[in-house]
Amino acid sequence: MPGSASSTHRPEGLIERLRSAAADGGEAKLKDLRELKNQIIGNRTKKLSYIKLGAVPFVVSILSSAPYTSDSLLIQCAATIGSFACGVDSGVKAVLDAGAFPHLINLLSHSNEKVVDAGARALKMIYQSKVAPKYDFFQEKNMEFLISLLDKNNENLTGLGASIITHSCQTNDEQKILGDAGTLKRLINLLKGTTSQRDASLESFATVIKENPQVILEFVGPENGRTWGTLIELTKDRYPRTRLLACMCLILIRNAVPSYLQSVGIRTKLILILLELIDDSGQVGDEALFTLSSFIADEEGLQKLAFEANTIVKLCDHMQKELLQPKRLEGMLMILANLCSNLECCRSALLQSPKTINIITDALSHAAVDVCVAACICLKNISRSVKYLSAGNFMTEAVILPLVRLLHDTSTSVQVAALCTISNLVIAFTTHKSIFVQNGGVKHLVELSKSMDSRVRVNAVRALRNLMFLVDSRCKEGIFLELRALSLTSLISGNPIVTPRDTSACVQEQALGLICNLVNGPVDSIEYVFTEDALLLNAVGRQVWSSSKPEVLIQGMYVLCNVASGKEFQKEAVMCQILPESSKNDTQSIMVTMLQSDVAQLRTAAVWTIVNLTIPTGAGALARVVKLRNAGIVSQLKNMANDPCLDVKLRVRTALGQSMIFGDFST
Amino acid sequence: MTYLLATGWTGDGKDGLASGDGRQQWWWLAADDETGDRRWVFIPSPFDLLRKRQYCQNLVVTAKMPVRMVESPAPASSSGANPGQTSLQPCSLLSVGQTFSGTQNVSSPQKEEAWRVNVRIQGCDLNHGYVCGTMEALNVPMADTPVVTFWEGEIVDTKNYTFFTNKWKATSEVDIDHWTKFPSFSPLLSQVEVDGGKSLDLSNYQYIFMRWKEQYFVNVGADCGLTIAGFYYVCFSCVDGSINGYYYDPNSSPFQKLELKTTNEGRSGFSFSSYELQ
Repeated sequence: MPGSASSTHRPEGLIERLRSAAADGGEAKLKDLRELKNQIIGNRTKKLSYIKLGAVPFVVSILSSAPYTSDSLLIQCAATIGSFACGVDSGVKAVLDAGAFPHLINLLSHSNEKVVDAGARALKMIYQSKVAPKYDFFQEKNMEFLISLLDKNNENLTGLGASIITHSCQTNDEQKILGDAGTLKRLINLLKGTTSQRDASLESFATVIKENPQVILEFVGPENGRTWGTLIELTKDRYPRTRLLACMCLILIRNAVPSYLQSVGIRTKLILILLELIDDSGQVGDEALFTLSSFIADEEGLQKLAFEANTIVKLCDHMQKELLQPKRLEGMLMILANLCSNLECCRSALLQSPKTINIITDALSHAAVDVCVAACICLKNISRSVKYLSAGNFMTEAVILPLVRLLHDTSTSVQVAALCTISNLVIAFTTHKSIFVQNGGVKHLVELSKSMDSRVRVNAVRALRNLMFLVDSRCKEGIFLELRALSLTSLISGNPIVTPRDTSACVQEQALGLICNLVNGPVDSIEYVFTEDALLLNAVGRQVWSSSKPEVLIQGMYVLCNVASGKEFQKEAVMCQILPESSKNDTQSIMVTMLQSDVAQLRTAAVWTIVNLTIPTGAGALARVVKLRNAGIVSQLKNMANDPCLDVKLRVRTALGQSMIFGDFST
Repeated sequence: MTYLLATGWTGDGKDGLASGDGRQQWWWLAADDETGDRRWVFIPSPFDLLRKRQYCQNLVVTAKMPVRMVESPAPASSSGANPGQTSLQPCSLLSVGQTFSGTQNVSSPQKEEAWRVNVRIQGCDLNHGYVCGTMEALNVPMADTPVVTFWEGEIVDTKNYTFFTNKWKATSEVDIDHWTKFPSFSPLLSQVEVDGGKSLDLSNYQYIFMRWKEQYFVNVGADCGLTIAGFYYVCFSCVDGSINGYYYDPNSSPFQKLELKTTNEGRSGFSFSSYELQ
């Protein structure tokens, strides 16, 4: 007796019929399988429901009895499996767990082309998922199979080959082996095919060449000259995704071989195409944003072209028109960040749009980490404008408070991004620095200067250094109290147990720069390095004698130079630091070593120190000149009268002139 | 790599090549005198003889052939910068944090007057010929407090900027009139009159020439009764850091002189500070 219509079509009913068909070993009703397929196509809920009910193994078992199964049933099975896998990772997993993979591969060598097509389509669906099995390109058999797919005159098979490459090619070695096997040439040939074939090939091509100049260089050449032309033609294709993929490939080639894509005309065209693609509200639009961002990232010329193409106006419109999804917002922020990395005109243009600046500032508090980081980078690049830093544009609570909060973020990349931004903003130039100090900023920076993460440590100390630049006396005192001489000393000296030698030098350089700024300004600032029995001054002196890094020595020497511009006893203290101990008469003064350095900046710093020590008006000037002469420093200066660096030459002249006031030391 | 100068080459704009997007692009085949290699060189503007010289100086132009842009391997230059020149050498007295003080003579036929002036350098980017800072004018009669402005400077390095201003209502005659007021300019005058000083190498010159243009008032409103419409011609001495300048504004008294020296803020010597932009 026939059951009611509802029970016939209920999932459980359908599953039962499939199970009994499978258990019988006989052929399942084609109609039932087709019904299952029709129910699940395009219906994620139904797919998940049937997966949960365990439908997949029954379908696969039909496939596994392939020699005894009709072609029509095989086609329906493969299509159903493909549908389960399409866009649903759990479907892919269920299909793979049920052992469908080898059976689908077997279908590819079936005599019936429709069966081959169905098998290929199903495998393509699987390979579009990240949970698909990784294809091992290093196995010769696998590579032969892949190449055979690309050589077929069948869109589904070539599409499968391309999908496998896009899915599984991840490392430079894999790119190389694919390049060596001639896949690039085959993928380019497929660009003449249908839209989906073209897009699949473009995507694969991009995967193989991405960030691998070697592979590109081996491919591009006179014999492959038409590749470039083909790709350029495809940037005019009527389908947005094809245009996007063609742009991506051109940009990837150009990134590896900079002599390509030099024409201003083509560069501008690519920018305009990408800008137009940004209007697409889907994945094409999102990817266009990141493609444009990476295109202009490292080159001022491209940033200028993008600016002239009104990129800023367009992005500001987008950002103000609607609430953006996190990925789109991140992409737009990165483009703005790259535009502002070098060009003042871009920073000015952006700052003319207060609404956009508010959106950027608000993004500092976004829930998505990547958006926060992008907002930090954007703000950091805008704040490279000394003009706007000086105007105090950025020193507001709306900007500072969220940044200070980000210093506590659990993600190190967020902390580092916030630190880099703060590092620029606190240069401030005016009394606006107090906003940062009043909101606990110094405390946080000091804390982060002790972080175990070297990036956090370096950036925190750099921020402190910049904060200390031209800061007023009251603020300076507050910062120094928070910092403490002892912790500054340990930053200068470095702790080799905690930090590797190279990053220690970066921190030392910033810490010495901080002290240099500390003792600059009103002359009583010099007293800071004399507190606690000249703890800081002695630490600086030790570094100057022991470090081998020019960047550390330059900063250390400028600290001594600044101290030497103070009172008599302070100048004498510097003399003690730079001259060897009296018991070690055969030791060369560190000053001679500095003056003989290959690094012009270091020679400059050293000569300035001597200029300060030999200022004739000082009571002890004569005695210092004698000591410097005895240490061989004056004769070293005479050797530098024609120093190739103009700055050094002029200061040497001043120092010698001052020394000569006390008598000629030529004998 | 060097190129040889062509003779008899004029380039009159008639040989423009279509780029496919309606705009003309210019490509010339040039030979390297050392290697004999021939290469295509991109020239952005065919109608500017001076600029053509920049690109084609020392070029042997052997042929003009249509070329497809897509096949071009030659590097394009889009900044308009003079490829032959290098930046000026850094001078530690013209660096961030350095301060200068002196006077600006603001006398008019009706009244003699001078303001005390302090200048501080806040930014310096020799690669782009850029410098900036603040200027503080004290004892300004109509102001209750010192008046502070922010200025940006163009460094005349013949790479980014020449002695010709080409803006701010300053003609080349006005330029020459002002530059010649600096004694250190006289050895350069004849070349400047020819080409604005483009072919000069100033990298070892002990004086740095600049134009300073005030951009905004920092601590007073724009209605304070003062003007920042003009700009300064400035000569900086690398030897001792002294600064001389002349203010130019067609609507103000001419040749108001600015004279500044480095200040040491009570110190017995020179002091330095720095920051690092990320």
